[in-house]
Amino acid sequence: MIEVSHLVKSYRDLKAVNDVTFKVEKGEILGFLGPNGAGKTTTMRMLTGVLPPTSGSVKVAGFDVFEKAMEVKKRIGYLPETPPLYTDMTVRAYLRFVAEIKGVGRKVRESEVDRVAVKTNSDKFIQRVIGNLSKGQRQRVGLAQALLGDPEVLILDEPTVGLDPAQIIEVRELIKSLAGKHTIVLSTHILPEVVATCQRVLMIAQGRIVADDTLAGLQKAHAGAATADGHMGPTPSLEEIFLKLTSI
Amino acid sequence: MNNSIAIAKKELNIYFATPIAYVMFTLFVVIGSYFFLRLLGAYEQASLMYMRFNAGEMANRLNFQDAIFRNLFGNLGVILIFIVPFLTMRLVAEEKRQKTIELLYTTPVTPGQIVWGKYLAALAILACALLLTVTYPLLVQIVAKDANGVEWRSVGLGYLGLFLMGAAFMSIGLFISSLTESQVVAALITFVALLMTWIIGWAGADAEGWVREFVTYLASVSHLDSFSKGTLDLKDVVYFLSIIILGLFATNRAVEAHRWS
Repeated sequence: MIEVSHLVKSYRDLKAVNDVTFKVEKGEILGFLGPNGAGKTTTMRMLTGVLPPTSGSVKVAGFDVFEKAMEVKKRIGYLPETPPLYTDMTVRAYLRFVAEIKGVGRKVRESEVDRVAVKTNSDKFIQRVIGNLSKGQRQRVGLAQALLGDPEVLILDEPTVGLDPAQIIEVRELIKSLAGKHTIVLSTHILPEVVATCQRVLMIAQGRIVADDTLAGLQKAHAGAATADGHMGPTPSLEEIFLKLTSI
Repeated sequence: MNNSIAIAKKELNIYFATPIAYVMFTLFVVIGSYFFLRLLGAYEQASLMYMRFNAGEMANRLNFQDAIFRNLFGNLGVILIFIVPFLTMRLVAEEKRQKTIELLYTTPVTPGQIVWGKYLAALAILACALLLTVTYPLLVQIVAKDANGVEWRSVGLGYLGLFLMGAAFMSIGLFISSLTESQVVAALITFVALLMTWIIGWAGADAEGWVREFVTYLASVSHLDSFSKGTLDLKDVVYFLSIIILGLFATNRAVEAHRWS
């Protein structure tokens, strides 16, 4: 569904993203992990076509993000690092506007807005002005916006930032429920989140991919040395693997 | 086109959800009314004087268009220089600052549709502001009653001129707003740019020959005056339309280029 090959983004001498190549199959949830400043957001912005890469290419559903930008945009839902909210609008007016520019038909627009609002638990404050909402509420409106129009691909940049523990669990459940039908790339530096929601882990550090495997695969690869009688060593936690791989 | 209308509706929603549109309308009407009352007073004095000295010839020449509306439209045009920067400053700059522009970039909307949508909203605001001032000719018409009342054709042309000039100003403001993330900077630079289109005409007064003609052609207010007199000249229409098209084209490029920076 998503094919990224030899993606590079450089700002003068700094290579924010350096030769990143990976693939995401349809219906998969990919956890995109890395310390702050590793290049997660930059990569995601290139996946969605916001930022043009220095070199390399991104294909979504077979369409090149830059050559067939419109086709890609019709299939993508994106929650950026900062939720793109118009703080002077009410939640409902905002979602209605996003539905409209995403090409959701006039007749189904209202029901589509209600659907995503209920799904993200934003329906309780749907009449309020976004500027008066809490950070967690805004984050949920941002997520609702990404879900509008039921796009095949969801790119979520730290979707649970600013949420309280109960809401984090709700959002995780929501993301899990989207698996299968939607292809999801989810970035985070909260490790339990990956364990809870993702099937595959992509780890990035200083712009380079340092690991690309399933969680079980990673644990196997980084297991302690086998003992003399042939038993596997202690299984490392994702945290340990993360620290080992990203501390270069 | 649908996307442009969606964006225009969103812009209008924000204009009227924040105080900015109301404040600018109020300023426009308050200052406009002040000028209108001054002009009306001057008209009254002139007509009284002509009657007292039995200057029938002069009294006949006195008409609302030349005595009131021509000057009034000129004044309203100058007020536009002061209020347009505050109406256009947020159009693109705010989207960049709030990062909402990323939303527009990741939905199936072209830069052209973004620019056109925002411009349509700006024109709607301009039309609202101008509509509020139609009260002045209506008042004169009601009080004058007789057949020699307001020449609506000339007044209409004056409004067409004001609208075209406002539209040209909006286009300049939209472009400048697309160059920066700061609304304050956008408003300041727009104000200076619009002011230049007015005061450059003063330089024309000292010049001679083709320089004089050229400089006068550049000045926005002189083109407005041609409409306010009640004439429709192609060269004035071309002047405003070319500024509008140039501004929109440049904004389109700036919005496209923003991603590559």
